[in-house]
Amino acid sequence: MAQFEIKSGALVTLQELNHSSPFFKQGASLRVTGKLQEYTLETAIATIVDGSDFLKVNTEHLRDLTFKVGSIYQFIGELQIRSENNEGVLQARVGRNVDGIDLNLYHQSLLLLRQFQANHLNNPAS
Amino acid sequence: MQNPVYNSYVKLLAFDLLSLTQTPSSSSSSVSEPTFSRRGIPLSRAETLGTVTLRDHKPHKFLRFLIDDGTASVPCILWLNHMTSPYLARRRRPDDLRLIADSSARFAAEVRVGVVARVRGRIGCYNGKVQLTVSDVVVERDPNAEILHWLDCINLARNCYNVLPGLGPGPDPGLPPSSTRKENLAE
Repeated sequence: MAQFEIKSGALVTLQELNHSSPFFKQGASLRVTGKLQEYTLETAIATIVDGSDFLKVNTEHLRDLTFKVGSIYQFIGELQIRSENNEGVLQARVGRNVDGIDLNLYHQSLLLLRQFQANHLNNPAS
Repeated sequence: MQNPVYNSYVKLLAFDLLSLTQTPSSSSSSVSEPTFSRRGIPLSRAETLGTVTLRDHKPHKFLRFLIDDGTASVPCILWLNHMTSPYLARRRRPDDLRLIADSSARFAAEVRVGVVARVRGRIGCYNGKVQLTVSDVVVERDPNAEILHWLDCINLARNCYNVLPGLGPGPDPGLPPSSTRKENLAE
């Protein structure tokens, strides 16, 4: 069987995707969640927001996904940083509508998950 | 002491599942399967939940796919060769094989890139890496299912898998061993 690997999309909030963030790297595999603010059919670029933070997502490779402004979406893909303006655009390879998600619970659980993972890695299986 | 989780489908986060310790089997059988353990506790089955991010389908042979739960990606294999395998034909009744083949075909149809799936299976390895041999698949519709799975995994690790008496080294240092989900979230 052929090589079967693809990087996991690191869980990040849009607030964490600023230019000084360790996640803001060319080619970084990320999973982002936000409300669809704008979608341009011609370019397949979606803009998602979370509070005052936003991210552009290139959805050209996604099929069977309809876009509705105001709905919440989650995307997994690779971050491409445009050299001309240092803007990050996620090249999505997976996307889904997550209307009904409890974003408050999501953000709290994400912190707990990172804390657990850090503790586990500092105290590996013996 | 008997290991109460050996035959259970343990709920593990993907990074935890992929870091299980593999030990070569001491069996005298010509086909030796490694055994897997976590903190010294042998495990045979696991449950994972996440987004399907890759799919490789060979009709009537197998479906391989990846489950990404945000901490890592778990390779899974669903066998689809029940009606063509001479090995299985010698060991199972045709009616049983038909039932298993039908359910496997149904699972394969449900596993599509982008869906969130809960996968249970036997822990094995392929090319030296942990892999789940799929027993069953449920596609989750609830957008909060992944979050609840993370919390289940954390809670079970802290309060069950890490504290099995006489088998493990104890809970994660610096973490409240008996804290509840609600208390943890309130931190």
